[in-house]
Amino acid sequence: MPREINMPKLSDTMEEGTINVWRKSEGETIERGDILVEIETDKADMEFEAYMAGTLAKILVRAGETVAVGTPIAVVRLPRDSEEDLAAFLAARASETPAAAPAAARESSPPSATAKAPPATAKAPPPDGNAPPPAPAPQPPRAAPAGASSAQAPPPAALPVPSLVPTSKIPFFLPDPDRVRATPRARALARERGVDLSEIAGSGPEGAVRAADVERWLEALEEAETPLEGDVPITPVAARIADELRIDVQRVKGTGPGGRITKRDLRAHLEARERGETDREVGLYGDALKLSQKRKALIRNMVKSKQEAPHFYIGMEVDVEPLRTLRERLKADGKGITWTHLILKACALALERFPDVNATFREDRIVRFTPVNVAVAVDVQGELVAPVVRDCQGRGIEELAAEADALIAKAREKKLSPEDYADGTFTISNLGMLGVDHFYAIITPPQSSVLSVSAMRRVPVAEGDQIRVGYRMDFGLACDHRVLDGAKAAEFLGAIRTLLESPTELLANGEAT
Amino acid sequence: MEWLGCVPYTEALELQAKRVEARRSGACGDALLLLEHPPVVTLGRSARPEHLLRSRQELSARGVEVHEVARGGDVTWHGPGQLVGYLILDLAARGQPDVHAHLRRIEAILVDALRALGVPAGRRPPMTGVFVEPSQPPRKIASIGVGLRGWVTWHGFALNVACAPGAFADIVPCGLHGVAMTSVAEERGGRGDASALLAEARDGVADSARRQLAGPGAIG
Repeated sequence: MPREINMPKLSDTMEEGTINVWRKSEGETIERGDILVEIETDKADMEFEAYMAGTLAKILVRAGETVAVGTPIAVVRLPRDSEEDLAAFLAARASETPAAAPAAARESSPPSATAKAPPATAKAPPPDGNAPPPAPAPQPPRAAPAGASSAQAPPPAALPVPSLVPTSKIPFFLPDPDRVRATPRARALARERGVDLSEIAGSGPEGAVRAADVERWLEALEEAETPLEGDVPITPVAARIADELRIDVQRVKGTGPGGRITKRDLRAHLEARERGETDREVGLYGDALKLSQKRKALIRNMVKSKQEAPHFYIGMEVDVEPLRTLRERLKADGKGITWTHLILKACALALERFPDVNATFREDRIVRFTPVNVAVAVDVQGELVAPVVRDCQGRGIEELAAEADALIAKAREKKLSPEDYADGTFTISNLGMLGVDHFYAIITPPQSSVLSVSAMRRVPVAEGDQIRVGYRMDFGLACDHRVLDGAKAAEFLGAIRTLLESPTELLANGEAT
Repeated sequence: MEWLGCVPYTEALELQAKRVEARRSGACGDALLLLEHPPVVTLGRSARPEHLLRSRQELSARGVEVHEVARGGDVTWHGPGQLVGYLILDLAARGQPDVHAHLRRIEAILVDALRALGVPAGRRPPMTGVFVEPSQPPRKIASIGVGLRGWVTWHGFALNVACAPGAFADIVPCGLHGVAMTSVAEERGGRGDASALLAEARDGVADSARRQLAGPGAIG
């Protein structure tokens, strides 16, 4: 596959760079280390080296143009790429990025994570990809394991060097040990003995570390004096690097042989620092999860809601015995009407009767929604979605049920289209099946209320002198105080309760009033 | 750390290129080359013709060379009484591949050296360079511009120590209108011998650089 070369990040504070001059032209052959292009940023020019051999297939950003860090500036065709590969790659690019004009790039949102890559020079950090280069660490000049420093790893044969490296200030000579090339036996041995593979120069093909290398390294370590830095055991390489980077080894936890600090430990230490963790917090945080677009939207919406909409909450206990009886009867009749359907219909009816609830706060006024669009929150494998049953007004329960079921099925298959969860005017959130007794959901903007449905509870009910079992459910309503006041909200929730406690109206075909 | 004396601009450029290649191949360590140039006006890639205030013939008749050089930036002047420092550093090997940090470090070296010379100076963000205090209107005492080949740096700074008055009169330095150029001699009231002052500045900068660049690949 051809590769893109991105505008390198020459500094933490660099946001964009200008192409001064291309030293190679399109179609020209390039070798690793050739100066490819000169890049200018605030009083500094960098002659940027090719980090892969191949052909400069296409220049994407011309001399004199300024683009954001991470923006692709050229496409390189690797030796193994065919003409077809290149054509396909360029075609795919063209369809993905319609006219990636420099101006657009400049204005685009902050560069993505991938764009934060430090520039990959010939001495680039380890690749993100499949085939890591052998540990490019400076070889330890002192106390180096026998056979390690002499067996200088050859450069990787193929050129898997990436245009994308992790967002990191971690120096390239502290590669991710998991990405070090090693045989399975070497890996197993290293794990068993706590050896950091990135400290070993491999003697296998393409610099792969072999079990014998690990053994030799361990022997050398035994023979070498245990270098102590203020009584902290540390491997020679790590000692040198800690010195160079001025890392206080007292604060680094060693996981190597005999509790020695290894490169891997220095890396973990720097990574923790980079995440802004204090020494106390090291080890407290694990991996960060990547946010999906949906999750990002949810975060945005919920924060906006809590910041802008003054929430207030009311709750009512509903006697669901009649509803339960009705549901049993419908079930016996073979009608697939569920609790969700009944509550949906009750909400639709109540919203129709309370147009002030089916409303939103918009700039400086309260605006009623025209349709009644009820969103039903659904958890799909840990992802919250709320498909919307549109235009509920005047429609019978069976029609609403069929539509809701279709949407929920679609949601579970993760096949909802954006229109399916757009334009809700009210939301129902039901955690009853999860045993929640009581809760209040957050309003989804621009809606002004959300109904929270909890689990059905069995309660003792006094009837005459008898105690019998009754069935109750808590219904919570969160409201935007800009749109609704307590009294109106209570009336609305009361209407829902009445509908659920005398449910015959829910079955009327269409709006019967 | 090397003192090269007075070196013509093009010769110094070639020397730098050689040292950069040597550093890249690992044949030598980091270096700071200190020198003076004969009078020369250099035009960076973004130099605008109007920032050169005299014709080239006129300048050349006065013994001032004019060079267009492959660097960013506008127009600048080098010449006697100005201490030029070229830093050949492998930023990656130093564990800090960050070009702006490098610029800030050069500024720090100079501010530190100027303090020792009795000239209070500081930065004026967002401008790059070193300015004397108090600086209203801004008076610039050192210009900075760097290049990188891979992560090996070259070029560096030009500190005005005891330049002839009017040395910058032929240009609009760095294209900065409204910024006056000053020198150590001027700030100290114009007394003293120019060559002694240059030697003092040279040693001050060398000391300061030694401190700032201590650690890995330290400059000896």
